[in-house]
Amino acid sequence: ERGGNNSFTHEALTLKYKLDNQFELVFVVGFQKILTLTYVDKLIDDVHKEFRDKYRNEFQQKGTLGLLNGTFDFKDDFMRLLRDAEESSKVRAPTVMKTFEQSLKSQKTVKCMIETRGEKPKEKVKNKKNKGSKKEGPEAVAVPGKASAGDKQPSAAGEREELTKDEILQKNREEFFKRHMKAGEKSSKSPKPEAQKEKGKKPRVWDLGNSNAKVLDYSNSATNGSAEACPVEEFDPDIALGDRNREPGRLYDLEYESDDEAEEEKVIQNPSKPSAKKGGLGGMFGMLKGLVGSKSLTREDMDPVLEKMKDHLIAKNVAAEIAVQLCESVAKKLEGKVMGTFTTVTSTVKQALQEALVQILQPQRRVDVLRDVMDAQRHRRPYVVTFCGVNGVGKSTNLAKISFWLIENGFSVLIAACDTFRAGAVEQLRTHTRRLNALHPPESHGGRTMVQLYEKGYGKDAAGIAMEAISYARNQGFDVVLVDTAGRMQDNAPLMTALAKLIAVNAPDLVLFVGEALVGNEAVDQLVKFNKALADHSMAQTPRLIDGIVLTKFDTIDDKVGAAISMTYITSKPIVFVGTGQTYCDLRSLNAKAVVAALMKA
Amino acid sequence: AMAGGLEPHLEALRRELRAPGPALLSVLLALLAVAITLLIWRFVQGRRSSRKAVLLLGLCDAGKTLLFARLLTGKYRDTQTSITDSSAVYRVSNDKSSNVTLIDLPGHESLRLQFLERFKAAARAIVFVVDSVAFQREVKDVAEFLYQVLVDSTVLKNAPALLIACNKQDVTMAKSAKLIQQQLEKELNTLRVTRSAAPTSLDGSATGGPAQLGKKGKDFDFSQLPMKVEFVECSARGSKGEEGDADFEGLEKWLAKVA
Repeated sequence: ERGGNNSFTHEALTLKYKLDNQFELVFVVGFQKILTLTYVDKLIDDVHKEFRDKYRNEFQQKGTLGLLNGTFDFKDDFMRLLRDAEESSKVRAPTVMKTFEQSLKSQKTVKCMIETRGEKPKEKVKNKKNKGSKKEGPEAVAVPGKASAGDKQPSAAGEREELTKDEILQKNREEFFKRHMKAGEKSSKSPKPEAQKEKGKKPRVWDLGNSNAKVLDYSNSATNGSAEACPVEEFDPDIALGDRNREPGRLYDLEYESDDEAEEEKVIQNPSKPSAKKGGLGGMFGMLKGLVGSKSLTREDMDPVLEKMKDHLIAKNVAAEIAVQLCESVAKKLEGKVMGTFTTVTSTVKQALQEALVQILQPQRRVDVLRDVMDAQRHRRPYVVTFCGVNGVGKSTNLAKISFWLIENGFSVLIAACDTFRAGAVEQLRTHTRRLNALHPPESHGGRTMVQLYEKGYGKDAAGIAMEAISYARNQGFDVVLVDTAGRMQDNAPLMTALAKLIAVNAPDLVLFVGEALVGNEAVDQLVKFNKALADHSMAQTPRLIDGIVLTKFDTIDDKVGAAISMTYITSKPIVFVGTGQTYCDLRSLNAKAVVAALMKA
Repeated sequence: AMAGGLEPHLEALRRELRAPGPALLSVLLALLAVAITLLIWRFVQGRRSSRKAVLLLGLCDAGKTLLFARLLTGKYRDTQTSITDSSAVYRVSNDKSSNVTLIDLPGHESLRLQFLERFKAAARAIVFVVDSVAFQREVKDVAEFLYQVLVDSTVLKNAPALLIACNKQDVTMAKSAKLIQQQLEKELNTLRVTRSAAPTSLDGSATGGPAQLGKKGKDFDFSQLPMKVEFVECSARGSKGEEGDADFEGLEKWLAKVA
């Protein structure tokens, strides 16, 4: 589902890949990260085309057994393609710098290097001319128009025998500009006669300057002033005016492109595909063609559908950038795929999107809290869970719900009140503890208190309290420690540092990020910044990041469940619990299919 | 008057039935033909659609794709982590010489459930491939995946035969099938408690499914499952290296039995 980006970096290697969805092939090229190879994309495209054309029959006819039994001897072709790609990239390599011998400076004597006013300007000018012409030499791509212009320029300057220092400076400047303009034009690879035109610049007139007007005259003495010297542009009235048939003076409306044109476009494209159409009859039958017969999907077909799906997702509260990335990856996955009969583009795209969404929501590693608690029990150490999140998302409430669930399953819980900032935080947890103990009195659990609160009042260091709580739990034999932290904004650097310190020092077994389902684009920012803070401030080689997400206030959103997608996409971690209310029983686990169904519902 | 009016009609009907005219006869015959065709079609459909697929499931790097290639071609193939399914028809070597469709599914965590969903309805038998060498390390993940396969409602309904193939027996450190069976039973015993105790799902259905694996009071045992479970040892690579054949007679025999 993250197929939008086609390159991947791992240690010193970068991998770029290309998918062929029609034959289900993947082409991967790997190269060292430090090298910036310009021909990689072209190489992979060429390899793809050759391989596909060469073995097309085998793919189409023989199926899986053919793939298993067949030999694909591609090595020679690949080496040839690699050599071609390398050659082509060398031609476009940047120009090699001149060596010192080649440069002009070594040819000048020391004496003439000393600048004296007015003395020997001729040599300098001549050298400039040489320099100009020499520069043209080593360059591989010689543009004849430019060379002539270049030669002409210094020669014109060389006519002036006596030049003062200022004039030399100005001459240099002018040449500098012209050279740069030439370089720019060369890269576009079209010899333009404009180099000559530039000389026809009018001289600058400074009111306050008292220098000679003649000196400031940059124009070419030969061509200045005469009107015929200006190369007359070929004035083609048709091109300039455009549509001759329009009424003069009338402003026309913007033309609206109808769907027929789109159909015709499809028809034009399709004959180029060998595997597609049998009998194109014109735009009218385009729609029918789409239903029957095998048609491979192109980007243009999918774009309107994807746009609509993207807007639909954003309307369902999925973060905007995530919706864009999702649609991008679906497009990449479907491009070139052959559709079956009687399937429309819309249905194919919808199904692919649905699969991608389900895949996002179904975690790669399922977090089974009870299983892990049992493991920790066996090792006689408490299982530590830390709750973090921004202000007001429901950390304390859901902490109480989770401790109720744990007690129901027979584990004893110690609640560590590490929220030492918010007024009433400790009292809130004390009330919860009292209630839970009333619901599960010690008598019904073999005489031991199932829930206990560990608190040290307000204003103390949270990390220290957490550490003490964990060692207390170990001594007293509690099974689980739930650590409640203060809510903090992701931009608040000192508080983020404090949280990272708490987690790095105490090394909890599970770090849960509590986020509310009402959040929209903010979810992306919160999670990214939280993860970044945890990674930055941890001393260890592999930092502890967020392990799971608790999605709260789920009962307040109707079917705008997009926040679930945004959060799991950013972290790739599962949603462990879902909070659906304020009572102890309002704790659920996520059902991926139901959420996706609610998302895709129109 | 009504009865009087009805009488002649009834008489006419009785006369028709006794000596049916050609039109009525042909209509009746046509209806009969259609009914018989429908019955035959449904019967054939029922027999044909009965799952002819054998799925190869397992964790990543268990050896599914190599096993697949060996069964079909007998040759050793360098394999990569699968990202999509592969299927081919396999001719079983028994007296009936029937065919089954072998389907090799990817084992990667992000893909396995998706492909299982797609193919579980067509499964007549499931081969769950286990890496015997890495088993000690992976026992929790193996058990979790096996649990997910076993509690699936479609699988419980169809009860396809299950074979747990302990692969990679050519390596000296490989665990025996008996040990693997014991460990899996213990792990599944714990799992079914923790999974059924998980909070209920959003739309009300329990995450572990309404099914409870095995019997409640007793420890979990593979014999408590509705389907037939067997354990077999095999080696896709073969003890003689890449040129030799693979050692999986047990697997082949089981496939012959199942087909």
